[in-house]
Amino acid sequence: MGKSGRTKVLISVIGLDGHSIGAEVVCRILMDAGMEVVYLGIYQTPEMIVQAAIQEDVDVIGISSHASNYGQIVDLLNLLKKNNLEHICVICGGTIPTHQVEELKKKGVSEIFPPQSTSESIVDYILSKC
Amino acid sequence: MKRETDYGHPIKSVYTPKDIESLGYERDLGDPGSYPYTRGYYPDGYRGRIWTQRMTAGLGSSKQTNEVLKRYREMGQRGGMLVICDRTNAMPIDPDHPIGRREVGVLGWPGASLLEFEELMEDIPLTGQSITLLGSCAMSSIRLAYIVALAEKRGVNLNEVHGSVTEYPFCSTFGQTDAQPLDLNLKLWLDSSEYIIRNKIHMRSGILSQHFQESGGNNAQALAVEMAMLKDLCALLVNERGLEFDDVAFLPYELVSVGSRFFEEIAKIRALRRMWAKMAKETFKARKEKSCQLLISVHTSGRTMTYQQPLNNIARCAIQTLAGAIAGCTAIDNACLDNAHAEPSPLAARMSLNTQHIVADETGVTDVVDPLAGSYFVEYLTNKVEEEAYKIWNKIEDQGGMIAAVQKGYVQEMLKESAQEKHREVEEGERLIVGVNELVIPPGEDFQIPIQELKAGDSEGIARRMEEWKKTRNMPVIDARMAALYSDAKKEDRYNLMPSIIEAVKAYATAGEIMGVIRKARGLTYDPLEVIECPFDLD
Repeated sequence: MGKSGRTKVLISVIGLDGHSIGAEVVCRILMDAGMEVVYLGIYQTPEMIVQAAIQEDVDVIGISSHASNYGQIVDLLNLLKKNNLEHICVICGGTIPTHQVEELKKKGVSEIFPPQSTSESIVDYILSKC
Repeated sequence: MKRETDYGHPIKSVYTPKDIESLGYERDLGDPGSYPYTRGYYPDGYRGRIWTQRMTAGLGSSKQTNEVLKRYREMGQRGGMLVICDRTNAMPIDPDHPIGRREVGVLGWPGASLLEFEELMEDIPLTGQSITLLGSCAMSSIRLAYIVALAEKRGVNLNEVHGSVTEYPFCSTFGQTDAQPLDLNLKLWLDSSEYIIRNKIHMRSGILSQHFQESGGNNAQALAVEMAMLKDLCALLVNERGLEFDDVAFLPYELVSVGSRFFEEIAKIRALRRMWAKMAKETFKARKEKSCQLLISVHTSGRTMTYQQPLNNIARCAIQTLAGAIAGCTAIDNACLDNAHAEPSPLAARMSLNTQHIVADETGVTDVVDPLAGSYFVEYLTNKVEEEAYKIWNKIEDQGGMIAAVQKGYVQEMLKESAQEKHREVEEGERLIVGVNELVIPPGEDFQIPIQELKAGDSEGIARRMEEWKKTRNMPVIDARMAALYSDAKKEDRYNLMPSIIEAVKAYATAGEIMGVIRKARGLTYDPLEVIECPFDLD
């Protein structure tokens, strides 16, 4: 929880992906729902995201993925484990093909929101987890 | 359901002559081939030349992409080839960069050296078709150097090569990101553009509204942003680089994103031809008629390709291709049915190319030029989108023009608001998308499509290959070329770096190395991601 008792979410694009609009739209949705949002922007490595998650003490990490670089999401999950941060819920959104959705969930991603997911589904899911 | 244009203008149920009372045929439309070119540039339309029918290629290594290009030819690609660069290359950093190696080749072609361009083009002629390499602005001058170097190596007359390998300095703002600051991108774009124009090379430079619109901008904004960019960039080439507008006017080409708002998309392209023609004649005092004709290509829209029920995208692609063809364009590349899932699979690529051929060969659309001219509705929409675009363009001008508006974040904010509005409209059911907020089926019942992706380890393979290859190069030559580039890059911005970039490329210096040295000369870190150190002794 953030200082105010509100759910605190870190939103980031990972690796060299430059598609930031989806992440920015989601930030606005979460803020409108009363959550505290930390937006890291583009060119964030798994290491940078974990470091920010620790510093900001977030409840949820949301990764926007439009560049097929799923390996880096797996790297992020492994780094979280290594730092005993498995309690942080990791969700993803973007153009992720269905078989990768299954793979990523097996590896520890809590939920994946495909393009055109409703604001309600994202907000409700986060609130149900925190 | 909302009955408004995508930029929020109400649409009536019927249009009559009253809606276009002020339209003067000669003044506002003209016959095809006549100013202001609303109806197109050629009196015989596609009868003289069919549009270039192409597909985007680029995934994995250069050799893999070369194979795909050859397959596209067999699948009916005609007139030109189109390759998109990967994310390492967009930055640019090299495939063996510690961060780059994690995803090299994932989203495009990793063209980090002349060697890779040679592999990409193996058994593919440089002439006889347009060569288009898409990517970021930062890589533009290096891509141009590949063309110059390979033409020389193959003994091909450079002036017989045509296409486009350079892109505008604002793409980094609209999702096609690189890792370079705007002032450096601007300088490098001016260098490559000046080099093209002075050497009379038949290469265009993409000044595109596509990235802006694919990121969520609407039709009127896309026109406004396109015109604002064209004005600023052409003015810089004329005023700062001392070039004639009639030479500059041959440089830009525009890639329009065409979505499913059928009549609006056609109106947008017709309006764009008129707006450019007027600016060329009135603002830049063009002397040649050809200078009033902006080259326009069409990209059917990736943003409209849904993740849900992907086969529906075949229908969307067909509607958009038809719109692009009716509007009149020089080339079309299609988004594919799997656009929201992965890079084009062979099946999806074939479907998209077939769609173009069906539209071209079966519908009769190529028989008549600008067939919707005179439609009360289409002429009204053409006037309206132009009018709205001028209002937005004026606001950009009030900020001090496109460069200033981007520096102030004005255009980015406009884009963000528009993207949010589009999301809201779909969410609240004001705009319907089949399979998304209408006729939805459970994910488990959705159609299965083949997915084209790299195997785990392919990126690392490309990275290791580059690492090993780098050791085999003639380093004394590279060191000398890098020292020369470094010293040139320290000179004033108007000093053109193209000749020294070409020399570095010919010596097989890599994109990461070349950009790193230019960055260092400008007081930036060698590596934009600040992970690796400069391997050259420069000072």
